[in-house]
Amino acid sequence: MRRIWAVATNTIRQALRMRVACVFVILLFVLLPALGITTTGDETLKGRLQTFVSYGLSLTSFLLCLLTLIVSVYSVTSDIDQRQIYTVVTKPIRRFQFLLGKLLGVVVLDVLLLVLFSVIIYAITVYTPRYRDFPESELTEAHNEFLTARAALAVPEVDVTQEVRARYEELRKQDSLPAGYTPEQAIAELTKQAQLAKRAAGVGNVLVWEFDNVRPLAKSMFIRFKYDVFPNPPDSQVYGRWIAGDYQFIKTGQQPKTPIYDQIHKHAARTFHEVEFPSEVVPEHGRLGIAFMNVPLNSSTVIFPPDGLEVLYKADSFGANFLRAVLLILFRLIFLACLGVLASSFLSFPVAILFCLVLFLTASFSGFVIESFDYLSANVGAVYSYTFKWAIRLLPQFDEYNPTDFMVPARLLEWSILAKCAFVMVCMKAFVLLLLGLFIFRYREIARITV
Amino acid sequence: MEYAVETFSLTKVFSDWWGRTKVYAVDNLNLQVRQNEVYGLLGPNGSGKTTTLKMLLGLLHPTRGKALLLGGDGADPKINSRIGFLPEESYLYRYLNARETLDFYGRLFGLPARVRTMRIEALLDMVGLKAVANRAVGTFSKGMARRIGLAQALINDPDLLILDEPTTGLDPIGTRQIKDLVLRLAERGKTILLCSHLLADVEDVCDRIAILYGGKIQTEGQVRELLQQTNKKQITTDAISDSTVEKIKQLVEAESAECVVTSPMDKLESFFIRTVAAAQEQAQPTSGAVSTTKIGEFLSGAEPMESILDKLVSAPVSQEAASEQKPVTEKVLTARDSQAESDAALLSKLTGSAEPPMPEPVVKDEKAPAEPLEQRQVRENILDELTGRPTPPETDTQNTGKTQAGDSGDA
Repeated sequence: MRRIWAVATNTIRQALRMRVACVFVILLFVLLPALGITTTGDETLKGRLQTFVSYGLSLTSFLLCLLTLIVSVYSVTSDIDQRQIYTVVTKPIRRFQFLLGKLLGVVVLDVLLLVLFSVIIYAITVYTPRYRDFPESELTEAHNEFLTARAALAVPEVDVTQEVRARYEELRKQDSLPAGYTPEQAIAELTKQAQLAKRAAGVGNVLVWEFDNVRPLAKSMFIRFKYDVFPNPPDSQVYGRWIAGDYQFIKTGQQPKTPIYDQIHKHAARTFHEVEFPSEVVPEHGRLGIAFMNVPLNSSTVIFPPDGLEVLYKADSFGANFLRAVLLILFRLIFLACLGVLASSFLSFPVAILFCLVLFLTASFSGFVIESFDYLSANVGAVYSYTFKWAIRLLPQFDEYNPTDFMVPARLLEWSILAKCAFVMVCMKAFVLLLLGLFIFRYREIARITV
Repeated sequence: MEYAVETFSLTKVFSDWWGRTKVYAVDNLNLQVRQNEVYGLLGPNGSGKTTTLKMLLGLLHPTRGKALLLGGDGADPKINSRIGFLPEESYLYRYLNARETLDFYGRLFGLPARVRTMRIEALLDMVGLKAVANRAVGTFSKGMARRIGLAQALINDPDLLILDEPTTGLDPIGTRQIKDLVLRLAERGKTILLCSHLLADVEDVCDRIAILYGGKIQTEGQVRELLQQTNKKQITTDAISDSTVEKIKQLVEAESAECVVTSPMDKLESFFIRTVAAAQEQAQPTSGAVSTTKIGEFLSGAEPMESILDKLVSAPVSQEAASEQKPVTEKVLTARDSQAESDAALLSKLTGSAEPPMPEPVVKDEKAPAEPLEQRQVRENILDELTGRPTPPETDTQNTGKTQAGDSGDA
């Protein structure tokens, strides 16, 4: 261990004194405060903070990813290339200890830099609301909808199979099934229609969502929603009457013991909005109902997309959530350090960097890549699904664990997600890469051939 | 374990991409280096010397055959901890300074901090880099890099020292110091495998040599046996009168042998060292501040090395052994004994060590002031510890007596 640590400290020294790391550090030191001053978002405090944290975290993550790749690849390949390794591996250190030392050095450097920059981002975020006089409403909005960590209540899925079956039978009896459809196709089509009907409200109609086992979890809760309207009114805005309270009351009109939230709001279509309501409306038995009424002031049908509505509540503090988001970045960096070590165990610097960058970018857009390949694979068939598909799935899905996806909507990043990410990305994928790298390095010839 | 290094039909074939044999870099090499021997591996460029060393150390895998270092595998950490290796160039981390470099290598051996600090100071002293210990080694000249490379190879007090072209890039004085060091380490029981194409170096220090060509040993044997011309005799005398020479000639001719009389030629190395010494002595009274020049800097470092080396020899060797082993560099050619002695005297004079009539050396301001006796003694003990030599108390006192004598002469 002492030997591994000796190599690690030497790697950190190298990164700092060869000015590889310094470039990135200075860049971030300049860019982060500059971002803090220049970002305005949608001119509200919340928008400003959202934009800053989103850009700041993405930038830090991206630059540190590049730094990790460059340092891990450079420090191994340059030792081989400039042959300092001759004097190192002939000392009583095993080759795997040498590589582990390099890896440890890079990871320690990453941790130091990540702590430094996340503290900067956090400090700027927390102090921005204080350095200028923002209107009270904006402050409350920022505190409720950004400087917090909110969990979502699961929207229960609506079961339409019964309904569809009945409708299908009815149509069959009437012999009015559309021509040229197989029964499966017809049922699929009917299911789609039925589901759409559950999410669409004509003028004067009401949509109801039901949530079970809700406990009042914080002082206020939020309905986060997005809808589409048809036909589109001139200003793209529609009125909606939002009711939250005891499910029995919404369903049957029976007067509840708990108060009822009932307000009319006007919102623009096709972007996410939030409606805050006090959590005292949640009844004791925990069945919360949310209703949306397309008030007759409108002349358009309102349609909620499948993921168009959520009920959010504060579950943790902003700081704790931020810490977990930063850990998510750290896992990513550890993976990349292992990747760099693997690449440099058998490739020269330029090739190894290229290899790593390609994999890094693929991993960053893995969702898109996998989707598009899955789409195309219908024609490619067996070859794809048994080879390439697995190769892609071996890569980590960086976009699946993207910290800004959690930070911007102030979504709770649960420890379980973090643990899953650590397990999949670090314990499995990074570990496999590392083992492979150690194996190759163990058996390769270190010296270059000179005759 | 009879041999420190032993290879069994060691072969290295370099193939092209398709696996077709291109070159036999090393071909069925059977090398045997005995314990406590200075062994020279000679050969022209590309004869397989360095490839052999790399295979010994596990940096290259042999195509066929096997190599044993100290009875084990050269890639085994247990064996590695007893080996010092200086590659053909000192590949150093350019961003570390001299002290950090040695510290890094010391840590690779798992040496505790206290031992590391002691050894590093002793080694820096020895290779003469104390004055520049805090400078990044990337800024070092080739000779200085070579010195730090050598110090790096010695930090673990190795039993076996493998040196690949140890004197490249060094000036004659540095070369001479390295050669002396090699011999002194050999006296202390180290085995040294040396690889070079500078024949003068090999000739001066090696017990046995092998000449490689095309990856094969062409000839191998004791240096003395290989070089001695048994059918001739050489007599060296002081300058004597022509009449005496005539008498000798007559005596020789009476045996019907041929006799040639010439003045012996000086070795260029000795001549060089004398010339530099003379130049320094002249420059010295005119200015005491030339010390920032390269020579001054280098010599300021070299001074402690000489004094330490002197003690390294004098300390362990008993009186009778000392008289036998006095000439260090001229081990082989005993005829040059007297010359060697004067060389040694000059060298130590030049490097400002304990010779009495020397005026203040040029490098006064860079050199540490003459240290008190106790400190010298301590440093010597460190070196004894470093090289693993037991210091019996009586040797110690004897040695201290000597040092005292030298110092009082100095004062």
